[in-house]
Amino acid sequence: MLAQPGQQGGNNARLQIQGERQSGQDVRTQNALAVSAIANIVKTSLGPVGLDKMLVDDVGEVTVTNDGATILKLLEVEHPAAKILVELAELQDAEVGDGTTSVVILAAELLKRANELVKNQIHPTNIISGYRLAMREACKFIDAHMAIKTETLGKETLINCAKTAMSSKIVGSDDDFFAQLVVDAMLSVKTISELNGNVLYPVQSINVLKAHGKSARESCLLNGYALNLARAAQGMPRRVQQAKIACLDMNLMKARMMMGVQVLVSDPKELEKIREREFDITSERIKMILAAGANVILTTKGIDDTALKYFVEAGAIACRRVPKDDLKRIAKSTGATVIVSMADMEGNETFDPSALGYAEEVVEERVADDNMVMVKGSKLARATTMLLRGANDYMLDEMDRAIHDSLCVVKRVLESGKVVAGGGAVEAALSVFLENFATTLGSREQLAIGEFANSALVLPKTLAVNAAKDATELIAALRAFHYKAQTSPDCKHMAQFGLDLVEGKVRNNVEAGVLEPSMSKVKMIQFATEAAITILRIDDLIRLQPSQDDQE
Amino acid sequence: MAGTSSKPPVQKKTNELYRESARKKDVRTTNIEAAKAVADAVRTSLGPRGMDKMVASPNGEVIITNDGATILQKMTVTQPAAKMLVELSKSQDVVAGDGTTSVVVICGALLKKAQELLDKGVHPTVISDSFNKAAQKACEVLESVAIPVDLEDREALLKAATTSLSSKVVSQYSSLLSPMAVDAVLKVIDPERPNLLDLNDIRVITKAGGTVDDSEMVDGIVFDQKAAKAAGGPGRMENAKIGLIQFCISPPKSDLENNVIVSDYTQMDRVYKEERNYILGIVKKIKASGCNVLLIQKSILRDAVTDLALHYLAKAKIMVVRDIERSEIEFISKTLNCLPIAHVDHMKPEKLGTAELVEEVEVGKGRVVKVTGIVSKGRTTTVLLRGSNKLVLEEADRSLHDALCVIRCLVNKRFLITGGSSPETEIFYQLSQWSKTLMGMESYCVRAFAEALEVVPYTLSENAGLNPIQMVTELRKLHAQGQKYAGINVKKGCITNMLEENVVQPLLVTTSAITLATETVRMIMKIDDIVPTR
Repeated sequence: MLAQPGQQGGNNARLQIQGERQSGQDVRTQNALAVSAIANIVKTSLGPVGLDKMLVDDVGEVTVTNDGATILKLLEVEHPAAKILVELAELQDAEVGDGTTSVVILAAELLKRANELVKNQIHPTNIISGYRLAMREACKFIDAHMAIKTETLGKETLINCAKTAMSSKIVGSDDDFFAQLVVDAMLSVKTISELNGNVLYPVQSINVLKAHGKSARESCLLNGYALNLARAAQGMPRRVQQAKIACLDMNLMKARMMMGVQVLVSDPKELEKIREREFDITSERIKMILAAGANVILTTKGIDDTALKYFVEAGAIACRRVPKDDLKRIAKSTGATVIVSMADMEGNETFDPSALGYAEEVVEERVADDNMVMVKGSKLARATTMLLRGANDYMLDEMDRAIHDSLCVVKRVLESGKVVAGGGAVEAALSVFLENFATTLGSREQLAIGEFANSALVLPKTLAVNAAKDATELIAALRAFHYKAQTSPDCKHMAQFGLDLVEGKVRNNVEAGVLEPSMSKVKMIQFATEAAITILRIDDLIRLQPSQDDQE
Repeated sequence: MAGTSSKPPVQKKTNELYRESARKKDVRTTNIEAAKAVADAVRTSLGPRGMDKMVASPNGEVIITNDGATILQKMTVTQPAAKMLVELSKSQDVVAGDGTTSVVVICGALLKKAQELLDKGVHPTVISDSFNKAAQKACEVLESVAIPVDLEDREALLKAATTSLSSKVVSQYSSLLSPMAVDAVLKVIDPERPNLLDLNDIRVITKAGGTVDDSEMVDGIVFDQKAAKAAGGPGRMENAKIGLIQFCISPPKSDLENNVIVSDYTQMDRVYKEERNYILGIVKKIKASGCNVLLIQKSILRDAVTDLALHYLAKAKIMVVRDIERSEIEFISKTLNCLPIAHVDHMKPEKLGTAELVEEVEVGKGRVVKVTGIVSKGRTTTVLLRGSNKLVLEEADRSLHDALCVIRCLVNKRFLITGGSSPETEIFYQLSQWSKTLMGMESYCVRAFAEALEVVPYTLSENAGLNPIQMVTELRKLHAQGQKYAGINVKKGCITNMLEENVVQPLLVTTSAITLATETVRMIMKIDDIVPTR
């Protein structure tokens, strides 16, 4: 009576297309398989005791990471359905910044179980509507029963959230230290939007610099904005107090004639004059900038070595080849205007002193092996630089990713103000809740919601397996607590129970300080369900072959 | 033909067929078989519970869609008769914009019936003529059950748009998208020429990031690019005077053969100064016209604006949006009620458009420029679509297009019919009654035509996971009892009155589907030979 999946298999021979076509159950199974394969790759990296992956690409570049999105991005997946999962991880990374591994595992589990249901003659559309319903109920449940306002938990919350986020990463062993670092950094960039008065915590205002050497514990926050480059000439001062900063996006090299202009001289003396003039054009510009009062000059382009003497004579710091993004941020925080051209409205060239920015101090400091130019005490917004130290490049890169995740988590907690207990607490609670909810429905969706409930358990299970604990026993105990929490009103606090993966016990994770932003969980469930549904709706896969012209 | 030669094994087979004496019959059979295969391919995506297709192109690009026309277009069919079905779906897309899957499915069913008739020995011309008559009769039946709709009746239009969206991935957002489609269309209708509607007047901008929920209809215009702020120009302008220019603000290039020759160092300064003065002259003229927002058309010959020009414009506090496509000029000038300016000397205040606010806003991962509060705005609308990833976004775009087309159909022909395959069943019932009054072959053919249309309720219930035979027979019974609005309620899994369930679609979609499908069948019927030419 149901649409028999695969019934069109025989049509492939009749339908003449330039490519392969698969339909019905074949496609669904294949998609589920491809997606499971992806999930299996990242599975072992989930949780505080998850392990890392080493990825080596074709030129021998090595990446060691624990971050789901990074692993998947580097995999160069080819299967179209698996690609959706990779995009899913990227989406989670962009929207939340954390939970990229979980979202992939959950989506794959949902799809795997849906495929089993289809094999048992449940129509995919019924499963889809069941999953949608379950997702909506789950999100409501998290908001209503699991989310805890940060105000009720005290100051430690932020630190605890940051710790939870980095627990699975390389910096997890020094989590006390790094969590404090992350929270301090995030709080220092608090800005209030001019337009609507919203409080924002822009992660990109935190400049993360990596330097070899010393141990990870020597990482620190630097007050001010650090540029990873040295001043242009040794003769310049190392330190400028009361700095007036000129941010230029133009060349201070010898002036060249533009295309279509040819220099043709008949007299060798003229040639010398032209050369001189070429240089003078630039030197006049520099003098103008210095005359306006600038004593720190940053440009994204080059400065001729011969031109440097003017800066040295004036006692100013000049830096060439400043990355454009850095320049923009410095301009923003010091109140400077980025200058692309010095032309004025009269057709001449002048330099307007109002384009200068102000900082209390610009100083070149030696950090590790490198010299860095620091802009300290800028006029307007705060900028923070986090300096990471570590033994090697791989470690530093991975630390960078871990810190980024934690920064995002702290940002979400600060902005949304709601947290949930970690360690599989939410997933276990959802599975109990959805199972009960499923039995209240008398339609085919019941089965799909039941499977959704089981799928949620994949996260605590994986956590336990990765920690080499008895998953079955732990999950059973955990579910028992959550069942109690949801049935008897006086056991409400049990909803905060989650796994302790070091001891292999069930404990109150809110008290233990294992916390995650609730938004991260809600988004994870929404994105995973949407992705699973997108793939589940596909019942036909057409792979086109390259057209004849391409082959020739 | 090119199509048959691309697959060697098939070619061999068909060549053998040609050699046989009874080849006329076989050409028809192969054509019908090929066309039916196409219909089967899209069958599963029909209806609100239809499935999606994933098409992976050789360059690794993936498309997930439920839209019949898109599927067929992407899957490069090779057989000539099968190609006709692809064309059929395309023309339905042009005429009605919706029902692209149904038209192919109906055509496939008609062909199947025609094949049966051929096997019985009915002459193809008779089949073709009778199908034509039956199609005309079917349209009459449809008109008899149609409900007139007034464009003032927003509710009815909303229902039709929602029905069209129900089969798409974005169906859960239909409460947001269908009012958007309805309002967009109603806004662009010119009261003086109410029957004319150009969908080009509705611009859909897609922007990744966020969810479909964040989509909005903008009362004004949206540019899919950032404001050019490299030189620190403004990103927000109140009381904007907008100039749309087609000339470049950059130094004129000398021709390849000609060079400017500098032989003296004093001339070097002049070259620089000339460039500055030239651009400054243009900028001053622009400023003098009162313009403070500049839209600059893309130029392939040289930079439309140089950094120096941007710098001057920023100094003159003129906001700049560059890289406007040539094809957008018409829409923009219509919306802003301004004239495109081809030369700086034509820069006159009366050619500028006026708006309360031009602002660069952050949308998802990127930025767009929004113009709102346009004074004497033309009859256009802009919809800003959002989606979490590219696949969803593209599908949302296609779905919105379908919904817009549905409303357009209602503007062109202001009748609604019920959905849920009730009109097809009604046609089946009426035509089978009518066939009893006819004589000879004709009666047979009309009867077959009627039966073919039952493929719609059959497929619909099959895709929804219901029992098709039970559903179709129950529908037949109810229609025989005179309940002409009875249709399959896919959501509840039973048969209900479609009018009460608010499942309605424009008359034009179904009539054009039936006529187009019939015409294609007639054409395929009449082919009795394929002659490959070089």
